[in-house]
Amino acid sequence: MADIQTYSHDAGWKNVVLRGLLYLVLILFALYYLFPLIVMISTSLKSLDEIREGSLVSLPRVITFDAWNYAWNEACVGVECTGIKLYFWNSVKMAIPAVLISTFLGAINGYALTKFRFKGANIVFALLLFGCFIPFQVVLLPMSQVLGKLGLASSTSGLVMVHVVYGLCFTTLFFRNYYVSIPDELVKAATIDGAGFFTIFWRIILPISTPIIVVSVIWQFTQIWNDFLFGASFASGANAPMTVALNNIVNTTTGVKQYNVDMAAALLTGLPTLLVYVLAGKYFVRGLTAGSVKG
Amino acid sequence: MASLTLDKVRKAFGPVEVLKEINLAIEDGEFLVLVGPSGCGKSTLLNLIAGLETSSGGEIRIGDRVINDVHPKDRNIAMVFQSYALYPNMTVRKNITFGLEIRGVSNAERDKAVDEVAKLLQIEPLLDRKPAQLSGGQRQRVAMGRALVRDPDIFLFDEPLSNLDAKLRVDMRTEIKKLHQRLGSTIVYVTHDQIEAMTLASRIAVMKGGILQQFDTPQNIYERPNNMFVAGFIGSPSMNFIDATLTEQNGQLAVSIERPGSPITLPLFEAPESYKAYAGKKVVFGIRPEGLTHKRSSSEQNGSQYVNFDSKVEVIEPTGADTMTVIEIGGKEIVARVRPDRAPTPGESMTFSADMSQISLFDPETELRI
Repeated sequence: MADIQTYSHDAGWKNVVLRGLLYLVLILFALYYLFPLIVMISTSLKSLDEIREGSLVSLPRVITFDAWNYAWNEACVGVECTGIKLYFWNSVKMAIPAVLISTFLGAINGYALTKFRFKGANIVFALLLFGCFIPFQVVLLPMSQVLGKLGLASSTSGLVMVHVVYGLCFTTLFFRNYYVSIPDELVKAATIDGAGFFTIFWRIILPISTPIIVVSVIWQFTQIWNDFLFGASFASGANAPMTVALNNIVNTTTGVKQYNVDMAAALLTGLPTLLVYVLAGKYFVRGLTAGSVKG
Repeated sequence: MASLTLDKVRKAFGPVEVLKEINLAIEDGEFLVLVGPSGCGKSTLLNLIAGLETSSGGEIRIGDRVINDVHPKDRNIAMVFQSYALYPNMTVRKNITFGLEIRGVSNAERDKAVDEVAKLLQIEPLLDRKPAQLSGGQRQRVAMGRALVRDPDIFLFDEPLSNLDAKLRVDMRTEIKKLHQRLGSTIVYVTHDQIEAMTLASRIAVMKGGILQQFDTPQNIYERPNNMFVAGFIGSPSMNFIDATLTEQNGQLAVSIERPGSPITLPLFEAPESYKAYAGKKVVFGIRPEGLTHKRSSSEQNGSQYVNFDSKVEVIEPTGADTMTVIEIGGKEIVARVRPDRAPTPGESMTFSADMSQISLFDPETELRI
C-alpha cells in the first residue's frame, strides 16, 4: 500500500514537471509564429517618424490608423494613387464567383463519379487527379493563348475561368472522397421513389454535404485570394487583384519607404482569408459533428 | 398487386456469371423469400426486379407487362433496404412522402396517405423527427412506411431485419407477416436467415452460386429437399448426413451404416420406386435431428415407422425445450433431439429411435435427392 502511495506521489510530481515543459515548448513555438504578425500590426499602427526613431520590436507609443487609411484610400499602385480599395473589390469579384462555380462543379463531378458510375469513370477521375499535380507555371502560356482566343485576356472573368479550371481538380477530389462514404442505397431508394439525377443531387445529396462544402470553400478561397502568379500574368492595370496591387505598393521605388503603409496594406490583403477561417471554421467543426450527436 | 414472373433471367458482370437462367413465378399476393449464403446472387436478383441493375438475358414480367427496359420508377415497385436508406436531411414525414411528391401527388392526398401509413405502423409520434433521432426499430418502420405509402404492385425487401438486434428481429418478423396477411400484397424478400425464410414465405427460392437450387413451399423444402445443399441449409440444427449403403433382403430395402462392431440396419418400410435403382450402392442418408429421438414406447410409435438402435453419447447440449444429443455413427457426429427428461449423460450408452418416414437419401456423387 505504502509503496504504491510513494510511487504515485512521485509520478504526480513528474507529471507536473513534464506538463510544464510541454507548455513551455508550445508557448515558445506559438510566440515564434506570432512574432511576425505582432511586428506587422504594431508597425502598421506607428507613425513614420516613430518607425525611424524606435526599434522594430518596440510597441507603438501613439496608436494611429493613418497608415491603414492611407493604404486603403491613397496609396499609389504604379502611377494611380487611389489606394488598395479598388483592387480589393477586384479580388472579391474574382474570388467569389470562382469559389462558388468551382465548388458547385466539384460537387456535381464527385456525385457523378461515385453515385452514377459510367464506363471510364475511373479514368476520368485519374485524369482530374493528375490536374492537382500540374505546377502553375506549366499552364501559363497555353492558358494565355486560350484566354486570348476567348476574348477574356486581362479581364476579371478570365481570371475566374482560370481559377475554376485549376480548382476543379481539388474540389472534385474533395467531393468524390466525401460521397464515397455515403451509402449507394440512398441513391437507389431515391431512384425507386422516382427522382432523377439532378433531383437526387439537389434534394438529398447536397443538403448532407455541408461539411465538405465548407472544406472546399475554405480551400478554394484561400488559394484564389492568395494567388499572385495568375493575377500578375492574366490581369493587368485596373483589373489586377489585390495581391498584385500589394506587390506594386511595396515595390514602389520612388519617394520615402512607408513601412507602416506596407504593413497595413499587407494586413488588409490577408484579412479576408483570416476571416473565412474564423467564420467558416466554426461551421466546419459543427458540420463534422452534426451526424454523430443524437437527440 | 400483381404476379411476378422471371423467365430464364441471367446476369453477368463481364465474364463472371452471377445468375444462371433463373425461372421463378409467383401469384398475386404471394410472399416469395430468396434465401442463400452470401454471394449466391439473391440480392442481385432483387436488384434486377427493382431495375437497379439490368439483366444480361431473359424476361422479367409484372402481371403481363415485360419490365426489362422499364425505369425503376415506372415499375410500380417499392423497396426496403438493409441500411434503411432514409434521407438524413428530411423528417420522417418528408421521407415517407418524398416519392409521392416527386410523382406530383397533391398536398392533401399526401397528408392523408402519410396519416394512414403512420397509423398502421404506429409511428405517428415520430413524424416530425429526423432519422438520426430514431432507434433502429423505428427507422425500420419508417423505411417500411416509405414503401407502403406508394401502394405498389410488388414490395421488395433486401435483408430488412439484419441490422436489428435478435429480440427486435423476431418482433419485426411477426409484424411483417401480419402486414402481409392484412394487405395481401405481393412481396419478394431477400434474406440469408433460413428461419426468416421458413416463417415468412409462402414460397422459398433457395439459391447457391447463382443457381436456383429449389423453389417450393417451406414445408416441401424442409421435408423433401432437392439436394444436400438445400437439406443442410434449411433447418437448425441442420440435417445429419451419414454415409451408408442401400441393401436389399427379400425385397425389403434397408439403410446399412458401417460402424465398429455390428452395422446399424434401418429398414425402409414405404420405399419409393426411385430407391430400387440404388440397391447395393453407396448413398448419403439424411435425417433431421427431430427424426432421431430417445426410444419411443410402443404407444408413441403408433402409425410411425420407428427403428431402434443403440449408441454411445458423446456430448449433450440442453436448449431448454429439447436436449441436443451428439452421438457418433459412421465416423461422423450426429445430432439427435431428445426430450429433456429422457436426456442421457455423456459417455452413457442409450437406445435411440429413428423415424424412417422423415428421411432423405442422396446420391453421393451428384448430391441430388434420390
